[in-house]
Amino acid sequence: MSDNIITDAVFQHTASLSRLEIKPEEASIKNQLIEAAKYVEVLDELDTRDILPTFQVNHKKNVLREDKVEASLSQELALCQAENVSNGYFKTAATINKNK
Amino acid sequence: MTDLNKLTLSEAREGLKTKKFSATDLVKACFDRIKSVDKKLNAFVTLCEQDALKQAETIDINLPLGGIPLAVKDNYLTKAVRTTASSKVLDKYIAQYDATIIEKLKNAGAIIIGKTNLDAWAHGSSTETSDYGPTLNPWNTQHLPGGSSGGSAAAIAADETIISVGSETAGSIRQPAAWCGVVGFKPTYGRVSRYGIIAMKSSTDSPGPLCKTVDDAGTLLEIMSGHDPHDATSIDENSWKKPEIRQNLNGLKIGLPLSYFPPQTQPEVKEAILKAAETLKKLGAEILELPDVLDPKYSIAVYTILQRSEVSSNLARFDGIRYGHDRSYFGTEAKRRIMLGTYSLSAGYYDAYYLKAQKVRTLICQDFDKQFQKVDAIIGPVSPTTALKVGASEGQAMFGELQDMLVEPSSIAGLPGISIPCAFDKTGLPIGLQIMAPQKREDLVYQIAKLFEDNTDFHLQRPKL
Repeated sequence: MSDNIITDAVFQHTASLSRLEIKPEEASIKNQLIEAAKYVEVLDELDTRDILPTFQVNHKKNVLREDKVEASLSQELALCQAENVSNGYFKTAATINKNK
Repeated sequence: MTDLNKLTLSEAREGLKTKKFSATDLVKACFDRIKSVDKKLNAFVTLCEQDALKQAETIDINLPLGGIPLAVKDNYLTKAVRTTASSKVLDKYIAQYDATIIEKLKNAGAIIIGKTNLDAWAHGSSTETSDYGPTLNPWNTQHLPGGSSGGSAAAIAADETIISVGSETAGSIRQPAAWCGVVGFKPTYGRVSRYGIIAMKSSTDSPGPLCKTVDDAGTLLEIMSGHDPHDATSIDENSWKKPEIRQNLNGLKIGLPLSYFPPQTQPEVKEAILKAAETLKKLGAEILELPDVLDPKYSIAVYTILQRSEVSSNLARFDGIRYGHDRSYFGTEAKRRIMLGTYSLSAGYYDAYYLKAQKVRTLICQDFDKQFQKVDAIIGPVSPTTALKVGASEGQAMFGELQDMLVEPSSIAGLPGISIPCAFDKTGLPIGLQIMAPQKREDLVYQIAKLFEDNTDFHLQRPKL
């Protein structure tokens, strides 16, 4: 793990993947990430070569419900917390640039 | 009628049934108390006084929780009531439906009096990272209540409510219960539905009660538990039922892991746990030292990686389009966690961090399996120290992990556990005893805790506010 150094470029890329803007006064986050990444290196002390991962502790798999229509939120209720709605839909910022 | 707010759940039920007082009297007593002390404590983010008083007028007191004031951690969705997770992202969010547990508690007759403060998004162990200001510890307001269910724990300790509910991902029920001197019962993962609780670390999130007594916590767990088709990880079992109360602990082997006393353990905490072990021994249990329990330092690392990873995924949904504000409203702690999670899940680092942590999680589960072949239950401190001072968590990337290091292993393995008051340090701050058992063995946890409580008086002491 120790080879994984959080450079400025990695930090900026991670912020972009996270869709977060890190303000100048939050710059200490970078050092705290390095600190946390360094701390977890303690796991290298344990041999896990033949160990399978545990993603879920009650070992349930492929839990499916019956394909039955159930009551759900009305359109009005579903939309009531959105800041921007239009014609009964959520309104989002444009994701495709018309000029390209 | 005075001081009705000080009653336990069972005392309040008795008083309502015998008509010594009404549900309105009880609700009013809690609001009187909130008005007199909550400016100091800040345990509540939102109060529901008018609705609560209205419900109290017509509630059927014959229901299991009929007319009982309930404080709800503000990460439970409560229909038509503001639900913020103590983050400004959800400052104006009015929940559109009830969490399954809220539905169950309402059906049982509980009256929601308010929503309690937490570390924003439940990220923390201090309630200091709340966007609505820190909650303070009722035993000493210069100290923290713990977290993330710090509001619920403080509200119980200060008698602002009769019962409360919180949620634990790794310590968030047990640690604030310990620091505030109340009972916090964390069930087996999957025992209580997660549906409608704002997701934090979905693979360990476990909602549960915080109450004044073990019996009260057991009553609440009976109502909260049971299979929920809306939660794919919910256990396929009926509601949990309180077991018979034991007269003694004869024949029971209880383990004391030596690794649960790390160097930073406050001497009074160690002394209190060893004394509690003596009490359990006098009650008939055989106490066995467990010399080879996996060092909790590994759980800190596993939890750090897995929690951040799941957080980065779970908080991706907050885009400000369907509800809430946009991502610029996230506080620094949430940003820190999302960033580390995104980093550990991103291409090139996944195997070294996320996968490695999930493999060590297997080792932690196997270690518990091994220990539970030798003993029926395990005890230890909840936290290495009593409540720390206000400001202790600031700028500490690993604050929560270090405070919760003794409850993280059992959370990672999905085990049930409880924190009950077992002593006070020399400054008068409470100390919690942790009792853990194998998955689905809440009965053992309950029996040991109940008998300890019946033979001690720590739970009867109240802070002077």
